[in-house]
Amino acid sequence: MFGPVPDTAVAEKRRSLVDFLKQVTLFEDLSRRDLRRLARIVHERDYHDSEYICQEGQPGAALFVVRRGLVEVVRRGSSSTEVPLAMREPPASSEESAATGTESVRWFSARARGPVPLLALGKSDLDALSVNFPPLANKVLMKLAGIMAIRFQILLDAQYLKESGEHPEATP
Amino acid sequence: MTLADTSSRAGTVFKSLAAAAGVVLGAYLVWGLRSLIVPVAVGGLVAYICRPVVARLERSRVPRGVAIALLLFVFVLGALFIVNRIRAVMPSDTGALELRIRALYTLNERYQALMGLDRSLTRGNRIYRWVYGDLDPLVDRVRQLLALTPEEHAQFVASRPRGAPAAGPDRLVEYHRANVDTLEQRARTALAEPATRSTVRPPGAPPPTSVGQTPLAALGDIVSTWIISPLVFLFLLRDTGEIKRGLLRAVPNRLFEPALNVLADLDRALGDYMRGLFLECCLLGVTVGLFLTIIGVPLRWTIAIGIFTGASNVVPYMGFAAALLSGLAYALLAEDIRPLLPMVSSENFAIWVIVAVALAELLKNVVYEPVVLGGAVNLHPLVVVIGVLGGATLFGPVGMLLAIPTITVAKVLVSSTTRQLKAYGLI
Repeated sequence: MFGPVPDTAVAEKRRSLVDFLKQVTLFEDLSRRDLRRLARIVHERDYHDSEYICQEGQPGAALFVVRRGLVEVVRRGSSSTEVPLAMREPPASSEESAATGTESVRWFSARARGPVPLLALGKSDLDALSVNFPPLANKVLMKLAGIMAIRFQILLDAQYLKESGEHPEATP
Repeated sequence: MTLADTSSRAGTVFKSLAAAAGVVLGAYLVWGLRSLIVPVAVGGLVAYICRPVVARLERSRVPRGVAIALLLFVFVLGALFIVNRIRAVMPSDTGALELRIRALYTLNERYQALMGLDRSLTRGNRIYRWVYGDLDPLVDRVRQLLALTPEEHAQFVASRPRGAPAAGPDRLVEYHRANVDTLEQRARTALAEPATRSTVRPPGAPPPTSVGQTPLAALGDIVSTWIISPLVFLFLLRDTGEIKRGLLRAVPNRLFEPALNVLADLDRALGDYMRGLFLECCLLGVTVGLFLTIIGVPLRWTIAIGIFTGASNVVPYMGFAAALLSGLAYALLAEDIRPLLPMVSSENFAIWVIVAVALAELLKNVVYEPVVLGGAVNLHPLVVVIGVLGGATLFGPVGMLLAIPTITVAKVLVSSTTRQLKAYGLI
């Protein structure tokens, strides 16, 4: 776990992580220096096929970014069966509200389709970033707020369209 | 019973055995490496306190390596300053002899006055009759520590100016003569008393020598044990989250978020406690120094006593004890005091030392602790006392030092883990 890794391998890994972070909408405005700083605090997780990444009804403590593979977003229906809502593919992010610490309970589940490596950014990581590097944390939080506002707008539109008789695609 | 059931039960038994073996091995390692616990803990805790400073420097576009180097430079400067202060108050060889003579004389004078002792030093007032069985051997032991050996006596005599001094009789020589008289008197008394009552040794007799390590070997031992402390400090300060991420990598996916929250709670609790304690130690040291200055202790001594008090306050109740002991030791030796308060005199100086230290302790308990530490620890005083005493019994000074942080971490670990596991429906 803590074994020494050759410097070049570490540098190479970090470089590819920084390159990936640059593609994520949430982090697209960050400078390379900020991305390098961010790469030092994100957690890399690997999920196997059908494994739950987060579950409906549980509190959220981190936002996730799909690095490879597919993630299925589902919600339990009235008969306790899971209703698929959306598919997420790289470099999509989800669970932004968890990272902002709104103490909300998840209203959907996310499940890996095939092996899925993810990046996770915890609420506590973002808190530490706010203390140690406020400008960087500000940029991330502003972007988070923007993304959440857009999603809220999409939900409102969907609701409006639903009431008008059309059937829009749900977007968690 | 199916094959799957048997396999599952075997798996559970294997995991339980592996966990038990892990716990035993961990306990064995902790016990075996207990001499390293304090240096590692000190290095880690200092790094913890300094982390915000490094982050602040990094925020100001100072590279992390340079920020750590700057911090180390400041530490070295601070250490040099403290060593210089200590050197300034440390007497020379002759000065130390004079200090011991003065201390012994003052001790004899004050003890005789307090106990109302006659010239034979065997009959005193009512207090003396109650406590002589316990106090006489104790005072005799202190006298032995302070008494000069024949070589030291010769060194002292040689150090005095020859001929009659112009400013009258040499006060220190008179003190020394009085000390020798007292020691001889006590030695005569000891001969007439049962062996158990007094441990006095005739004046001039060499003090008992202890067989042990040479100073150089002891220094080598200390250096080889404490060398790890700066290494831990540097390693932890250099770390930008690898340790936390390494720990979380070992956690199964379904426990990832609860573990993230538990680690955050631990980090917050330990950080609040360490930074609060550091600030409280500084404030107590400054307060004790200030109050002692007001009652007449010279500044160079108040700085030394303040640093000693602040450093001792890391162990609960030890700061108060350190301030009181060092203040009273000064009161025992002090000949000329320059108090800022008119009511302080050399006769009631010891009482004023007690008042000053008690006031500083009161201020610490009523103002500093609630404001600075706040709810960072939130332990019942009884838990603190039992924890410190238990730590001292099990691990000696190491246990005393680490008792409160350990209890704090254990408390937060248990409460936060339970809360998170419940929130995620895992228990």
